[in-house]
Amino acid sequence: MSESPGNVQGSLAALYESLQTSVLQLFTDPTQLSPGQAVLVAASALFVGAVVWTCCGGQRQRRTKVKLRAEFTPGMVYLHTLPAVKAIPCLTPFGIKLETYLRMADIPYEPMYGRSIGPKGKVPWIEYNGEAMGDSGLIMEFLNREKGVDLNRTLSDADKAVSRAFTKMVEENTYWGMAWNRWIDNFDNLHDLFEVSKTVMFFLRPFKGRLQQTMWAHGIGRHSKEDMEGIIEKDLWAISTFLGTKPYLMGDEPTEVDAAVFGQLSELLWTLPGSYLHRIVTVGCPNLQAYCSRIKNRYWSDWDQLTKNAKKTKEDMSLYSEIFSM
Amino acid sequence: MSESPGNVQGSLAALYESLQTSVLQLFTDPTQLSPGQAVLVAASALFVGAVVWTCCGGQRRTKVKLRTEFTPGKIYYHVPPPVKAIPCLTPFGMKLETYLRMADIPYEPMYGRSMGPKGKIPWIEYNGEAMADSGLIIEFLNREKGVDLNRTLSDADKAVSRAFTKMVEENTYWGLGWYRWIDNFDQLYHLFEVPWVVTFFLRYVRRNIRRTLWAHGIGRHSKEDIEGIMEKDLRAISTFLGTKPYLMGDEPTKVDTAVFGQLSEIVWTAPGSYLHRIVTVDCPNLQAYCSRIKDRYWSDWDQLTKKAKKDQ
Repeated sequence: MSESPGNVQGSLAALYESLQTSVLQLFTDPTQLSPGQAVLVAASALFVGAVVWTCCGGQRQRRTKVKLRAEFTPGMVYLHTLPAVKAIPCLTPFGIKLETYLRMADIPYEPMYGRSIGPKGKVPWIEYNGEAMGDSGLIMEFLNREKGVDLNRTLSDADKAVSRAFTKMVEENTYWGMAWNRWIDNFDNLHDLFEVSKTVMFFLRPFKGRLQQTMWAHGIGRHSKEDMEGIIEKDLWAISTFLGTKPYLMGDEPTEVDAAVFGQLSELLWTLPGSYLHRIVTVGCPNLQAYCSRIKNRYWSDWDQLTKNAKKTKEDMSLYSEIFSM
Repeated sequence: MSESPGNVQGSLAALYESLQTSVLQLFTDPTQLSPGQAVLVAASALFVGAVVWTCCGGQRRTKVKLRTEFTPGKIYYHVPPPVKAIPCLTPFGMKLETYLRMADIPYEPMYGRSMGPKGKIPWIEYNGEAMADSGLIIEFLNREKGVDLNRTLSDADKAVSRAFTKMVEENTYWGLGWYRWIDNFDQLYHLFEVPWVVTFFLRYVRRNIRRTLWAHGIGRHSKEDIEGIMEKDLRAISTFLGTKPYLMGDEPTKVDTAVFGQLSEIVWTAPGSYLHRIVTVDCPNLQAYCSRIKDRYWSDWDQLTKKAKKDQ
């Protein structure tokens, strides 16, 4: 026991003994817990939690352990992607992009409607010859080499460069506008899009906060709603202007960039009805809506089939929560 | 004083008295501080800091300190001070200042470390108001000062221009950030011109950046994948530039401020790196392009960088 005020160890020992007693009291008869004891226990719990969180928590930056198929057909692409909803065959623009590319390139694939996350903690991802691969862009480069595909073969080098610039703009900038609209601005209607009850959406609220943090760290989340909408609108006007009266972005035939742009625009067009962004791609820039319908009719003739058959299961919801907790 | 182990208030009071004594000891004669007292003071300081940070820190609109007197119509341009390597360590600072010089808009540099209203730099003060984000500032000044660096471009060219701007600022930029803060962190004190020991405190910043890169997505790739992505961006810019003096033709336009902003950091602050090799050896037209813009709009480059003295 402490003998003088200056004895730090003594005070700490006494405090620790108080804590022990409080915790014991908590488990035996909580009604007898004094306010002081309750505060002590709570403060200690918070302190321990904070230490653990700092050391091991935050964003778990680790390679995800993926569950691979035990048996596979060599050369077959197993596409892990989100299951269809009534609005659209896939709720992630990168899933629409990758699947559109596979259809454009005539690469046979087997859709594995999502029960797991890819090796980089995101979807879509593929399994190929027993290996897992993440990131739609890297997957496309790999399959181009592997399958001898080149959707860009008719393009000049300068056109390929422009093509890459538009791809990056639409995936690294416009994408955030869609995410912000879906998860932050329009969160209260998300249950409709995901086809779950409002109660389930209540439990997905933490992901809204997480996305806000991500967008803050990225930078784009620091803008006001008007500034953000202005930025995304300019992206869409740029795509519309560049497309002009051409059937596809780079000319008469679709190329790789069309998979990327269609991926992003399809989400705006079919999953955000009534929003400011929707108004831009339909009323403001009708050639964008026509462009999307053109690609949908050519490469997604089974769109209605896929979306009408959509039914949400409990496993699908657990997949969403896994994705957004990464 | 505590009388029994169960007396929480008593223990806390005793601990508080110990803390008071320790703090007093710290200020009168730190050499006499016992290890227990030192630990107690440090832990208390950390605890107070954590409470303050949680309540007041994290994401918030930054309260900026504006000038009390200003000249109407004058731009007060807040940016970090030059270092020996480059006049501004943030590519968006290089971009905005290059734009101001290209557009012949007079401005007064306010070298400092204060953050702008969106928590980032550069930012400007104009007619008593603070404004942030280089892109939004440029759009505002275009309207305010009647400037249009893109006036000779067709609508389709303006669209291509925007696409390259976004690619270089939303993709290539993160690769540069990864290289500077993660891959090459051990040399950062050299670039920032601070004593090596300051690097220790920069580790906290590095941790935040790592998290941001992860959240963004690009941080999930391996080093080879990131370098591959960056290389493709740089080759695309190089291919599109070709033999033209500027990206869109014979005269500089808005996109050149953005591209120069990012590339200048690679050319002048990342010597010996994989990225540097791409913009010099593999795509020499990029190095020539950067030198061209530097010679035309930054004739005072040497003056600014030689005068640089770190006051960290």
